[in-house]
Amino acid sequence: MDLSRRDFMKLVGISVASLALTRCRTLPVTCYAPLPPSPTTTESITTARDRLRRCWLSFGDLAQATIEESNQGMSDNVFGQQLIADHRQALDALLSEGGLTPAVADLIQEAFDAAVYHVWRSNAPITCYEPMIVDYAPVSASVLVQQSEILQELAEKGTIDQVLLSKAQAAIEHDMAYYAMTDEELSSLYERLVAEWDRQGQAAPSFEEVDLEITPDARAAAQFIINLLTRK
Amino acid sequence: MTSTRPPLQALIFEVTQRCNHACRHCYNVWQDPLQSASYPDGQLDPARTLELLARVIEETGCRHITLTGGEPLLRPDLLQIVEFLNQRHVQVTVISNGRLLDEQAAAALIQAGVGLFELPLLSHLGEVHNELSGAPGAWQAVLSAMSNIRRQHGQVVAAFVATRRNIEHLQETIRLAFAFGARGVMFNRFNPGGRGRERLEEILPSLGQVQTALSAAEFAIQEYGIPVSCSIPIQPCLIDHSPYPHVSFGFCSAGTDRAYYAIDPLGNLRPCNHSDTILGNLLVESFAALTAPERISTFASAIPAFCSDCDHRLECQGGCKASAQVCYGSLTAEEPFLHYNHAAAIKTRPTTTTPIPTSFG
Repeated sequence: MDLSRRDFMKLVGISVASLALTRCRTLPVTCYAPLPPSPTTTESITTARDRLRRCWLSFGDLAQATIEESNQGMSDNVFGQQLIADHRQALDALLSEGGLTPAVADLIQEAFDAAVYHVWRSNAPITCYEPMIVDYAPVSASVLVQQSEILQELAEKGTIDQVLLSKAQAAIEHDMAYYAMTDEELSSLYERLVAEWDRQGQAAPSFEEVDLEITPDARAAAQFIINLLTRK
Repeated sequence: MTSTRPPLQALIFEVTQRCNHACRHCYNVWQDPLQSASYPDGQLDPARTLELLARVIEETGCRHITLTGGEPLLRPDLLQIVEFLNQRHVQVTVISNGRLLDEQAAAALIQAGVGLFELPLLSHLGEVHNELSGAPGAWQAVLSAMSNIRRQHGQVVAAFVATRRNIEHLQETIRLAFAFGARGVMFNRFNPGGRGRERLEEILPSLGQVQTALSAAEFAIQEYGIPVSCSIPIQPCLIDHSPYPHVSFGFCSAGTDRAYYAIDPLGNLRPCNHSDTILGNLLVESFAALTAPERISTFASAIPAFCSDCDHRLECQGGCKASAQVCYGSLTAEEPFLHYNHAAAIKTRPTTTTPIPTSFG
């Protein structure tokens, strides 16, 4: 699959934001359950890298600010815009120190912009015809198994034809490779699906068919974010 | 951005009025057979369309545009439009019936920058979906489209328009949407307008049916972990929302910065895609001028007299005022869902003494 650098970085940013918040979700207009707070740091913020890290750890605060802004009838994402500006400033400082290349820095910023937008959209109340807020958190193995089982059941009932079923199963197969599951999860799911395909007398698609094209810059940017958050 | 107003959150652009389906519930204002004056027909050429979009983005700072129709994939330059928006860092959602979303089209649109597809899934039974879509093979096509999008790692939400004919299928339909990789389900109770107005009484679901469906939605959310939202307003005086804590309920945002202004293929601006009120043309006047408080206030502040003493009036606004206007000729009329269930509302409606704002600003 030809995945653009920008799209890849957006996914990285959104996934990090989703994971940081445990699970971003839509909040009903009339009912609000507080989100878990983001990790707070008591250490001193001295370097550009520290400032950058603080931005990535502020998604809980952003979620809270979004809810409060919404309750006050505001929808400008003021806190989010401030975070984006702070992030860019810290990134520029790091850039001037020679810690990053401009291309990688731009991709990191792209990931952060997408993450901020995702958290904001996930916490602002929906309005008429606003598209569903989508949880971009990686699909878990258990969800893929459940989806596969439902498809199989529908196929057995005869409500869905074999061509359509194969297509849907192939899409699940592809998801397995796309979302970074643990080896154990992946292997367990794969074995289960292979067994199902065998039962139907079909050959299972190969993982080798999956081609994720990520550029070195995008890899470097993603690695930078991970290192930043894991303090490497 | 030239305006001093805060950036607009989202816009709807109706790229074409043409459609290859004939949904019974279609709300497109140009599809209204009962309308005495016909809606302006036609569309701008590709170059003028991009000029229009550039102008709108510049004027509003909008970061999210939903492309709809008609059926947007019937427009040959759709890909160019998506690329144009993506280059300007505008997030793009496409609302389609899925008929033309083959593997190639899905890949091209996702690559060009479509972040989310909204596809209809009206039943777990093919014949019901096809019947409501007015198109044989529609169900097979939309499920195939969902698989094609998923295969390209695109995002899909399924839109379930609840009519009397299919509302009891909601739970099974959510299950099917989940199995096909939908990341969410929009549970939209039928909102009369356009062609749908012709069969209003025949297909408008009853209050009891909507309540039952909400329970099914609540169950499905917990069973499959899939979010379900009600985008078309469900008045809290008719149905208490509290038994459905995981379902998201939306209300009209007309006139606010979160409003979903709709732009038709000729550049005419309307308060939303359900409204047939043309505020003016964006190639003639600026967005700021067309949405100035004195021009939009009538729409934004309209509320039925029935709702005047209700605690929920500011968020609920009586439901869909665009539907009230299209069906009954007045923004302050009770929209059909309220109109038909008016009697049930009296018993549960909370009251207040807080005065109603008389102006919008």
